[in-house]
Amino acid sequence: MPANKLLLSSSPNAFTGADSRKIMLAVIIALLPTTVYGVVLYGLPALLVILTSVISAVLAEAGFRALTKQDSRVGDLSAVVTGLLVALIAPPSLPLWMAALGSIAAIIFAKEFFGGLGANPFNPALIGRAILLMSFPAAMTTWHAPFGALTDATAGATPLNIVKMGGTIADVGMGIAGSSDYGATLWTLFIGNRAGSIGEGSILLILVGFAFLLALRVVRLITPLAMVGTAFVLSWVLGMDPLFGILSGGLVFGAVFMATDYASSPITPLGKLIFGAGAGALTVVIRKFGGFPEGVTYGILIMNALAPFLDKLRVKKYGFVPPAKPVVAAKEGAK
Amino acid sequence: MATKTFKGGAHPPERKHRTEALPIEYVGTVKQVVVPVNQHFGAPIQPLVKVGDQVKRGQKIADADGRMTVPVHAPIAGIVKKIEPRLQSNNLEGSAIVIEADGSGGVDFMPPLDGFSCGKDEALARIREAGIIGMGGAGFPAHVKLAPPPNKPITVVIANAAECEPYLTIDERVMAETPGDLVEGMAITMRILGVGRGVIGLEDNKAHLMDALEAAVKDYGRGAAIELQLLKTKYPQGGEKMLITAITGKEVPSGGLPMDVGCVVQNVGTFKAIAEAFREGKPLIDRGFTVSGGACKSPKNLVVPVGTLVSDLIPDTIQIDEDALRRVIYGGPMMGPSLPNWAVPVQKNTSGVLFLNASESKVYAEGPCLRCGRCMNACSCRLSPALLNVAIKADDFDQAEAIGLLDCIECGTCSFVCPSHIQLVQRFRVGKQLLRAKKQKEAARAGK
Repeated sequence: MPANKLLLSSSPNAFTGADSRKIMLAVIIALLPTTVYGVVLYGLPALLVILTSVISAVLAEAGFRALTKQDSRVGDLSAVVTGLLVALIAPPSLPLWMAALGSIAAIIFAKEFFGGLGANPFNPALIGRAILLMSFPAAMTTWHAPFGALTDATAGATPLNIVKMGGTIADVGMGIAGSSDYGATLWTLFIGNRAGSIGEGSILLILVGFAFLLALRVVRLITPLAMVGTAFVLSWVLGMDPLFGILSGGLVFGAVFMATDYASSPITPLGKLIFGAGAGALTVVIRKFGGFPEGVTYGILIMNALAPFLDKLRVKKYGFVPPAKPVVAAKEGAK
Repeated sequence: MATKTFKGGAHPPERKHRTEALPIEYVGTVKQVVVPVNQHFGAPIQPLVKVGDQVKRGQKIADADGRMTVPVHAPIAGIVKKIEPRLQSNNLEGSAIVIEADGSGGVDFMPPLDGFSCGKDEALARIREAGIIGMGGAGFPAHVKLAPPPNKPITVVIANAAECEPYLTIDERVMAETPGDLVEGMAITMRILGVGRGVIGLEDNKAHLMDALEAAVKDYGRGAAIELQLLKTKYPQGGEKMLITAITGKEVPSGGLPMDVGCVVQNVGTFKAIAEAFREGKPLIDRGFTVSGGACKSPKNLVVPVGTLVSDLIPDTIQIDEDALRRVIYGGPMMGPSLPNWAVPVQKNTSGVLFLNASESKVYAEGPCLRCGRCMNACSCRLSPALLNVAIKADDFDQAEAIGLLDCIECGTCSFVCPSHIQLVQRFRVGKQLLRAKKQKEAARAGK
């Protein structure tokens, strides 16, 4: 009997078609609407930042893994996702060498040093951004209004900047919508026609990508909902305008694409809830009391550190029997 | 009827269409059988015959004393040729009795017994003497389940008709062709246990059997209160714990048994075997199973004598495409073992023999865990496979036990859904054995 060609392995012998590459591809597709919109808003410089960032991320991963004699994982597309995310949360006028540096730092310091895909304790793109923000604070906070040349002369302020500097929402509205009308201001923010990072502006297009990821069950609703919901409530409690807080800055982008990073967020449902709520709360606290106008980056990074502990909040297993209570430990102590 | 189910699970492609409408074929005569001595879960038994003995069909050929034992009977009349270790369908070698048919045609069944009027002990003895074990796969002695200790009152008898493994359709065919046997076996079981409620739980892909089953309950149930319950078609709906939870809403406590929540669960085939053991005095010597898979040119539902080598059925009964063949599985694709060849006997608990082609037997390299959480959402026991995997890889068996390693039912849903093709359930199987060995060692040390 010709048996030597038969496969022998432990069951199961059936698999879903899912693999890491398809998941990363789904994330890239989900990011495309807001990426394209970023290029539309800011033109060639934004495109170059995106390309530089993606290419350096892929090269950094391939190079590091070759140097450390590990299998190449370029095929799983996770470096493309990291590079793309670094670019989308950077200002469009960022010098290209800084974009490259941010990506390389994200891949090597935040990801590969810890073992690569799935092993990073902190969100690599946010680490990349944090490093850039500390190293080049001026370049990382130079913003431009959409549809204009990105020169020093045209530099402007983001909606959150304006409010941080003591401006009102009506001032923001005058800048972006040409009207101080509250509704028109919020609508313009929702569409995303305002100064900011390349990909964070259009809440609408971010939600389109989110819906796509939800439909494919790549991400769950719970973390982004907890993050945005908590930010809304806390903004309101602290006397800030909650709707404005959600629609401006990088809150929604961070909630959808950063807080849902598999490796750096908790894996359990209750863990995800607390993680999202904590990131949302920290974002608002930093916005209100911190030195920066925006707090999403550090809000999520701080919660990243707690993720391993939040993983202890597991669902009760099937047939869980509560452990018997220890019998009067005090008497033993008296011996 | 509202379909019930459990939380978690997954939807592997069903692939039942090739055999679900095919009537069962009966293979009466085979030239030889290889009967493994120990086919049940429990204490080992010994052969009662020696090489050269002539045996009749139905004659007891192996047995032992002890509660967790079940005898084995000769499936065909013939001469005992050898008693030697042979590869079994669990992929391990074990002592087997080889009987060669001699054409004598001798039959040695027990006298028929009326399961509705005999004493309870007599009925339990009959089920044991008929060599009946759980035919769904685990091979747990049937009579042991039917004799729970007095402090565990049973309130419901459940027929596991979910048949959630892909490809397999033998239970479906048994219900379509002989629904009366299932009902009769259930009614006898309910009488033995003194239970007033019986439930047949079947996945809704078998909803077309409802009418026939309802009619059979009227005709063969002797008034026993047997209901039908449709369940969502989802793997592992036929896992004993999942079935109990879907039907009763209760959960079998960790480390416990179905009787802890008042349930007795038997497979469709087991109930049929019980009915036959009383009505005909016939021990469990024939086994129905499904033959299918992409490299099988003659998918069908078969009944053969226990111990029949699948290789002896080729090419007269089963035709396979050897060029396309990549994997042979005894059982279903989710839990059944892959075997190195098909000269392996059909056993009391063999529900299928699958000949899979290349597209059905993909093999993947293990990738890094993304922590995507799919395994956690799919786990039928609400465990955290990704975290268990980390604990076992780190040799941290205390942590693995704390987060429920021993509660894993090894259904394989986690490995099925993993996008990185991590060997989750495979590692848990090994991990459970290592953990048990470690605990035994510690217990021995503590005893000194």
